[in-house]
Amino acid sequence: MSLVHINIFLAFTVSLVGLLMYRSHLMSSLLCLEGMMLSLFVMATMTVLNTHFTLASMMPIILLVFAACEAALGLSLLVMVSNTYGVDHVQNLNLLQC
Amino acid sequence: MFSSLMLVSLLVLTLPIMLSIFNTYKNSTFPHHVKNTISYAFITSLIPTMMFIHSGQETIISNWHWMTMQTLKLSLSFKLDYFSMIFVPVALFVTWSIMEFSLWYMHSDPYITRFFKYLLTFLITMMILVTANNLFQLFIGWEGVGIMSFLLIGWWYGRTDANTAALQAILYNRIGDIGFIMAMAWFLFNTNTWDLQQIFMLDPNLTNLPLLGLLLAATGKSAQFGLHPWLPSAMEGPTPVSALLHSSTMVVAGVFLLIRFHPLMENNKTIQSLTLCLGAITTLFTAICALTQNDIKKIIAFSTSSQLGLMIVTIGINQPYLAFLHICTHAFFKAMLFMCSGSIIHSLNDEQDIRKMGGLFNAMPFTTTSLIIGSLALTGIPFLTGFYSKDLIIETANTSYTNAWALLMTLIATSLTAVYSTRIIFFALLGQPRFLPLTSINENNPFLINSIKRLLIGSIFAGFFISNNIYPTTVPEMTMPTYMKLTALAVTILGFTLALELSLMTHNLKLEHSTSMFKFSNLLGYYPTIMHRLPPLANLSMSQKSASLLLDSIWLENILPKSISQFQMKTSILISTQKGQIKLYFLSFLITLTLSMLLFNLHE
Repeated sequence: MSLVHINIFLAFTVSLVGLLMYRSHLMSSLLCLEGMMLSLFVMATMTVLNTHFTLASMMPIILLVFAACEAALGLSLLVMVSNTYGVDHVQNLNLLQC
Repeated sequence: MFSSLMLVSLLVLTLPIMLSIFNTYKNSTFPHHVKNTISYAFITSLIPTMMFIHSGQETIISNWHWMTMQTLKLSLSFKLDYFSMIFVPVALFVTWSIMEFSLWYMHSDPYITRFFKYLLTFLITMMILVTANNLFQLFIGWEGVGIMSFLLIGWWYGRTDANTAALQAILYNRIGDIGFIMAMAWFLFNTNTWDLQQIFMLDPNLTNLPLLGLLLAATGKSAQFGLHPWLPSAMEGPTPVSALLHSSTMVVAGVFLLIRFHPLMENNKTIQSLTLCLGAITTLFTAICALTQNDIKKIIAFSTSSQLGLMIVTIGINQPYLAFLHICTHAFFKAMLFMCSGSIIHSLNDEQDIRKMGGLFNAMPFTTTSLIIGSLALTGIPFLTGFYSKDLIIETANTSYTNAWALLMTLIATSLTAVYSTRIIFFALLGQPRFLPLTSINENNPFLINSIKRLLIGSIFAGFFISNNIYPTTVPEMTMPTYMKLTALAVTILGFTLALELSLMTHNLKLEHSTSMFKFSNLLGYYPTIMHRLPPLANLSMSQKSASLLLDSIWLENILPKSISQFQMKTSILISTQKGQIKLYFLSFLITLTLSMLLFNLHE
């Protein structure tokens, strides 16, 4: 695989690991989610531009829109947790209560 | 000569009202002026009436052209025919006596001049109603008597019950006005006029709708069953008001309207049957309600309602002239009954409950005499006033091809008339006194004596006098079996004896708890209790729910947003078995992913 691909693939993997393994703050997980979205965006844009696949050039932009939506959703969850406990430590989410 | 005298008589009535802008209003002799004005108007109106009786010539006076709306011409026109020519002197005579009576009754009232002004305005609007030749003028009179009734019932406006009763009268009359306006609209559409002559000449074919409207108007104004509770409640007004409005003049306006339209009604069998059944229900129901009331004015009010039902029954058997005769004779003795009750009430220091009266037979001889004669005239004892109209009605109903059930109801109501009349006499006059010892019983005021005396003479002789001097209209039934001729008298005597026996037998018994029949009769058949609470509550709550709940809180809030959140929460609680160890779950996800990538060579 070419160097560029390995570079972006590595960025994606690092963000994925960061999403799934973190210490206590929920915020770090959300930030890694953003990183994943970013690497995907760069990968898609580069592929489209290199292969001159013009018709698919709206895909990265739509991807960005949906990333924004899910970021908002994640942030609202964060706000709800923070409203109840003051900090967003993951070990607080142990009450099965709605 | 004829028409100008009649117009003079009607115009004379309006003089005190117009003069009230001058200083005679502040004078304490204004009531006397009003009473004298009415007596002059009565005497003046006797002359055209006698001319009419002699020649039988009817007149229509069309004075002033008011406006023309494309093809409809509205003008001020008076119809002086059989009905109005005989009713005007009778009404003026009764009103004259009532005015004199109220000089005594309302003597200590600070606003007595305003009272007389209101009574006079009422009389003027009643005259407008009676002499109207087109429906528009009739409607002016119709609304006018309604408004004056409201003002007079609520005369003592500090009393909540009086205000409620006045409002009740207005509301029930308004429901009847819907029928009136519907009839007016129909006539405008189909006969292009509001003039009675043109309507009768054109003789439209399908008259169901306007006659139903007129029947509804009569139901509202004359307190027939369904729109009847306002009449007993209207007894909150002073006794002269009850005597004038709610016995002789205003409540007969509905019957008068139906009598005016008799050329249309005689061709429509359906409406006649409806009228007959409505009148029969009314007369029986109100007679039953009158049996157990304890307020003397309410008993007489129910008696009025029952007699109005009898008049409607008469129209239902296609005898408008007999109904009109009953209107005229009924005015005399009913006004006198109210005036006697007013005399009793004032003498016993404003006591209206018959359970607290008694023994007035010796204490108030003149009032006793007139009360007994009035009750006898009411029940139709032969050759008093009521006999000439009531007995004829019962005879004609017996011998006509009509609904047997309605006839039976009417006969039962006739005997009940005797029963409650006996009840009044027994409780108010006979026995030992049940009122407080410190009394102010006197009847030595000439106003009181003269007014009742005049109506007394009328109650005895007016029936004979009127029926011998009018020209024959519909031929009464001449031949019938003896038992049929004596039916009315028989049921009346039966009612008298039954009531007297029952009263004497149970007079000293222990008071027992009321039966359900007693409660039915005492609470007016539960009709006001149900109809004044349930429909308004249902209407208001339905409108509140549909206005605020339906759109705002259900559709905008609850259907999508809140229902979705509720559903999600419930299902997630239901199927969730997790404990919240997020880091462990993420870690397991990562390990699974790595292992699968390594094992299956997915990165190649």
